[in-house]
Parts: sequence; structure tokens; C-alpha cells
Amino acid sequence: MTKFSAKKCLLLCLIVSLVLIVAGAFVFGFAGMNLDSTMKDYTSVEVTDNGYMANDANYRTALEDFCLEEIEKEYAVEKVLYSGFQLDTHLEFILSDIASDAELAALADKLEEALAGEAFGEGLTLGTAGDVSVGWHVAVYAPHYEYVWRTAIGFAAVLVLLFAYVAIRFKVGMGVTALVAALHDTLLTFALLCLVRIPMGASFICILAFAMLLSVFFSLKLFGKMRKDFRMEERKELASEESVLLSASEGRKGIFFTAIALAAVSVVLAVVGLIAGFDLFAFMAGALVAVIVCTYSALLLSPSLYALIKKKSDEDRAKKAKYNYASEKANKKNAKEEGTRAEEPAGNA
Amino acid sequence: MGKKRSVALIVLITIVLAGVLFMSITPTFYVSEVKKFNSLLSIVDLGRDLGDGYYTVYYPEGVISDDEYEDLKAEYEYGQEEGTSDLSDPAGDYTAYRGIYISNDLMEDGKPGEAFRNNFAEAYKAVKARYEGMGFSDYTVRLQDDYTIRAEIPALDNDEYDAEAIAQNIFTLFSYSGELLFTDASDASSAGTAEMEGSADNIRSATTENAGEQGYAVAINFTSAGQEAFRELTSSLTSSGSSTTLNIFLGENVLLSASVSGTMDQSSVYITGGYTAESAKAVATLINSVIDGEGAFELSFAAPEYFAMEPSMGVHTALIAAVCIGVLALASLVYFLVRFKGMGLAHLYGFLTYALAVILCISLIPAVQLTIGGLCAIVLASAFMCYCNYYAFNNIKKEFSTGKTLTASVKSGYKNSLAFTIDAHAILLIAGLALYLIATGGVKFMALIFTLAVAASAVCTLLLTRFYLYMFMAQPKNERGRIAFVGFKREETEDD
Repeated sequence: MTKFSAKKCLLLCLIVSLVLIVAGAFVFGFAGMNLDSTMKDYTSVEVTDNGYMANDANYRTALEDFCLEEIEKEYAVEKVLYSGFQLDTHLEFILSDIASDAELAALADKLEEALAGEAFGEGLTLGTAGDVSVGWHVAVYAPHYEYVWRTAIGFAAVLVLLFAYVAIRFKVGMGVTALVAALHDTLLTFALLCLVRIPMGASFICILAFAMLLSVFFSLKLFGKMRKDFRMEERKELASEESVLLSASEGRKGIFFTAIALAAVSVVLAVVGLIAGFDLFAFMAGALVAVIVCTYSALLLSPSLYALIKKKSDEDRAKKAKYNYASEKANKKNAKEEGTRAEEPAGNA
Repeated sequence: MGKKRSVALIVLITIVLAGVLFMSITPTFYVSEVKKFNSLLSIVDLGRDLGDGYYTVYYPEGVISDDEYEDLKAEYEYGQEEGTSDLSDPAGDYTAYRGIYISNDLMEDGKPGEAFRNNFAEAYKAVKARYEGMGFSDYTVRLQDDYTIRAEIPALDNDEYDAEAIAQNIFTLFSYSGELLFTDASDASSAGTAEMEGSADNIRSATTENAGEQGYAVAINFTSAGQEAFRELTSSLTSSGSSTTLNIFLGENVLLSASVSGTMDQSSVYITGGYTAESAKAVATLINSVIDGEGAFELSFAAPEYFAMEPSMGVHTALIAAVCIGVLALASLVYFLVRFKGMGLAHLYGFLTYALAVILCISLIPAVQLTIGGLCAIVLASAFMCYCNYYAFNNIKKEFSTGKTLTASVKSGYKNSLAFTIDAHAILLIAGLALYLIATGGVKFMALIFTLAVAASAVCTLLLTRFYLYMFMAQPKNERGRIAFVGFKREETEDD
């Protein structure tokens, strides 16, 4: 990376990030996150029996499959929840879209009727075997405000501590870069999660925490390498930008090592999630986004930002260190003036 | 380290690690007809996403479910058929409203009356705040059908019966409302010989404390006026010289009972009674919600029923995720063995120690609850631990290539990586701790697991892996021009 390309790279990174963050904020502001059923309002159809479902797995499967088929003739089902206690078991079919009260009531009646007519075993129907009744509900989610604001304060505290630690143990410029990188990674991950519209629950905040912690580690990795390299005699001869970018390119291996390991876990669990449960896939896809964002930031944004900060600080230091002969010039000037004043009375006389 | 000592240590450590590994991951099996062996992983408390949960629906008095309405209707019709019942027709007593039925007494002009609506809104706000105050790893409170409240919480114990009891206790406690009253009366409606109001004037806060063998205690912290009022209360209760029972009522319900045998003049009182951490916290949260008067409401709820729920991420997700992470960890160990030979062996022992330390922490520390975020934190800390060893081993390799002996290379390799390893562990530990102390909910539990995992990684990377490396290095070093243990090869120079 040359002097020109460091500046260009930073500019490009900032433009790309800014566009994505603004787009994410726009989508979040107008459409919000694509929340899953654990965190949004929903309408559901509830099938209740006398506990027969808990005792007969075949009955539960038959009932669930039949209800799902009947409901999906008219509405898409997002999730099926099974719950129960003793003589009261429920299958709750959460609909993907909000249906009106009249539609839900009609759907419940229709389903109850269909269950009464669907044979199950000898002389029984799905409805009579478990004494099934069908109800419906409209549920409005109560947001976790305390969770959100306390976590936001926690994130802010981590950023301050990160800056203080890196500034003390490394350099102030490195502290600034680590702070910008952590903030950038968290915001960009959030923006991308909003943009890609993966349905997520409250755990999406854990993905942001994951992004922040990973960013902290990558910053430490990067600046640890630079701190070590800057002490080497041959590096001292290099220009500040060149020295930073060289260290960064040499430190890429370690960042790739960690990123690949984390990405591998995320991909494997996401693939498994497609079979085991969509929520696992959604979370791991989010974690993969965080890994990609942090890697991009550690490879491109942080080195180019720190290269410019270091260049500026080195220039300032050189300026201060340079002897400018100001005092000699001032003395000379004073002496000249005094000489002129001494000559003036003699001339006048 | 001598060769014999090294062999003895290798054997000993291998046995210990194998033993703990067996205890950690072996599937549950029956030892006898009644006793079964539970592995450490099987007793890890799981959040609602990976483990079971419970939910309840709070029905205000006068509001019933669709099922209850159908039962009332069936009873009425049966009574009519038999001609023996004096039950009133539920169709005349209740009005259908969304998925529920509301008593006509609460209705005005065909819709819920204003007084009921206001009372319900107040109650909903208070119940929401109580669940928020519990700091669960994951929970949900919803307004269901406009006039019922649905609350979902994670299972708070591994044992199904204990978890049920805790859930039931929390659900019931959080339905209570009214004013807090300290009295010796046996029921709230009768007057006691001495009473004290449980308002903000007298009580500063309620907290939970570990009471050792007695389980957990609910600590009530008084203001100075409260301390004086409580002294007077206990003094008048014990003026006869015999001990008496002090009841703390919340509305009509007894919240706490304690035996008082003398005058108590202290700023805090601790009340024990076989509380678990969660039940004590629920009582403390409830007291905190009502002392300032904001969390008290007039509406009364019917005794809540509770239901068990399957994990929100799927029934076997936790197990599947654990198996996948285990397989990937194994793959990383193989990579280290292939790339670093003997140093990879030291990493294997180090990583195994780290993994077992993390399993011990998450299974034995009661405050830990594993959610998908926690799982992510473990993966992150593990990758971080692997990288620290990778970095140190590469440094050792570099030092060796400069012509140093193996022992000197290990020494300077570790010395070169020390600053980074300490800095990275320190800042991540600080970040994890800050998040744990400030955040709440899922992030708090994730941060706790991350902090524990980073601490384990620090010990394993900085001390144990290095120790294991020295332990293995005491074995035969040179074999046909190679350093057999680490697979390093020295360039042979011809002597003139």
C-alpha cells in the first residue's frame, strides 16, 4: 500500500461503511429489525387437549401435522410451540402475518370442525381423542427497554476502557484507532443485520457484543505487532505510513487464523441450524456477519486510519524537534535595533 | 525437568484430564436402579433459547379463557338437562372479547369499562417491571388479547421438579399486589397488636444475601425512620417476653414470616426460610416494586396456572451445537499436532485443560446460565486461546531458526509473545467484566461466561501450556539430526 493508497483505502472504507450504516439506520428507522416471533406482536391459533398429546407422541405428531396443513391452506405459520402441564397441553401455531379477529375466529372454528371429522384410531377423531378445543390469541410484545439501555451503557463503558487501556499501554493514536474500529464494527454489524433481514430475537444484541469483543481482540493483535515492529532498528528507517502498513500486512496471518476459525464454527452451526432449528441458523449467520465485518475492519480500516494518524503525529513531532533558529534571529534583530538607536543621536548631532 | 519426573507427571496429568473429561461429557446413565450418573455438561443451566422454559397467563378477576368459558357452558347445559343446577348462563354473564371472555360486570356499553382498563394498564406496567427486575437471561412479557398478561421465563434449575416449583413461585408472587404491611396479625384483614407500613419512608430496598446452610435470605434495608419504626414494632411484639411471629403482607397475601424473640434495632434484617437464590430474588424484586407505591395495583389476578415450554431454538439444539463445537475443536487440535508436532501435544493438553475448566465453571457456578450468546462467547474465547498458543509456537519456531537451542528458543519465544498475550487477556477480561457488571439480560450472562473463559485461557496460555511444553520436552530430544519432539530440523554444517 503506498502513501496514496493508504489515504484512498481509508476514504473508500469510510464511504462503504458510512453508506451501509446510513442504509441500515434508514431501514431500522422505517421497518425496524426483522424480529422473530419471540420479540414481536403476533396472532396465533391455540389447540388445547386434555394431556393426551403428552402421553402419545403419535397423536401429537398427527395432530400437529393435520393442524399445520389446515392452517397453512390460508395462512403461513412461522413457528409451532408445544407447552403443557399435566392434563392441559397446547400446540400454539404462530402465524407469520397478523390476522384480524374475525379471520382468526373463523379459522379456529374451521379447524375445530376439521379436527372433529379427521379419524384417528378406531372410532375416534383427532378432536375427540384428546377432547381438543381450538382458541386464538392476539399477543403484543413488551419491549425490553432496560436490557437495551443498560447494554448500550455497557458497550460505551467497554469503548472508554478500550481507549484508555490502548492509549496507556500502546499509544494515544492506537487508542483512537481501536475505539473507532470497535464502534465501526458494532455499528456496521448492526446495520448489516438490519439490511439482510435475517429474523432474530433478543439475542441479536449478543451478536453486537460478540462483534465488539472480536474487534477489541483484532485491534490488540494489530497494535501488538506494530509495537513490536516499531522497536526494530530496520523499521525505524522506514516512513511512518510504510512502517504501519508493513506491520499490518505481516500481521494479517494471525487475523485470518482467528477469523477462519470463528467463521468455520459459524458456518457449521448455521448449516446445522437449517436442520435443527431456524433460530440457530439466524444467530450463526449474524455471527458470521460480525466476523466478516471485524476482519474487513482489521485488515483495511484500522491500518490505514492508524497510518494517517501516525504520519500526522510524526510530522508534528518532527516539527517540534526541528531547530528553527528563532531565538538567534530574534537576538540578531534586537542587536540590530539597538545599534540603530545608538547611531541615531550621533547622526542628529 | 528430569525424564522420570516428566513421565510421572505426564501419566498423572493424563489420568486427571481423562477423569474430568469422562465426568464432563459422558452421557447420563443409570448406576443403579435409582441412582444415575449425570455428566457436568448435562447439569449446565440453559437459557430459554437452548433449554426448557415456563409460561403463565395472568387473568384478572372477571376475565376467563375460552376453555374455561366452554367448561362453564358445559356445566350449565348439563345442569339444565338434569334440572338440578342453579348455575347462571355464562352467555349472559360474559362477553366474548378477542380470544377471551370478560365478565359483564366489567363491561360498559359493550366494551371493557374505563376503570377496569385503567386498573389493568397499571397492573400490566407493574408486572412488566417485576419481570424486568429479575434479570433473567431471557424472558418475555406480552399483552395477550388486550386484557391478559402472558409471561415466559427460562427453567431456573436442572431438576424438573425444582424448576417447576421455582417457576410457580415466581408466577404466583408476581400476581400479588397491595400495600406492604409488617404485622403480627395472622391475616391481612384483622388488626395486629403492632404494625408498620412497608413504604419508602421506612424501607430503602430489599436485596438477597447468601445465608450459607440456610440457603438464601431476603434482606430488608430500612431507612433511619424505618429502623426506629421496626425497633418499636419488635419491642412491642416481644414486650410480653415470649417470641412471636411477624408477618409481612402484600395486600391479602403473606409474603414473609419471621419469628421475633427480642427488640431489633438494626438497619437491615435478614429473613431466611429455605429460599433458593431465585425465590429470594423474586421476593426482593416484589418488595422493591411496591415500596415506592408505583408498582402497587388494585386489580387482582386469578391464581396463575403454569405450563412447561420446549426450547425456543429447538429441542436438541444445545446438544447438536455442543457436538459440532466439540468436533471443530478436535479438528483444530489435529491441525496443531500436524503443524507443531510436540508443541501441538502441549497445546492439546493446554486446550483440554481450558475446555474442562470452562465446563466446570458453567456447570458448577450457580449464576451461570448458558444461552446461544454464551455459546458464542465460549467459541470466541477458545479461538483466542488457540491463537495465543499459535503465536507463541511461531515465535519459538522463529527463535529456533536463528540458531538457538530448543530450550532457549522456547524461553525467548514465550518472552516475545508475553506482552501481547498479557495485554489481550487483560483488555478482554476488563471488557467482559464491564459488560457483566453493567449490562443485563442475555448480554450479562454472555459476558459472565466470556470473562470466565478468558480467565481460564489466561491461566492455560500463560502457565499451563508452557508447563506442559517443558514437561514433554524432557523426553528424548534428538534423533537423526532432528529435534524429534517438535519436528524442528537444524541445517547441518560441515566441519573443516
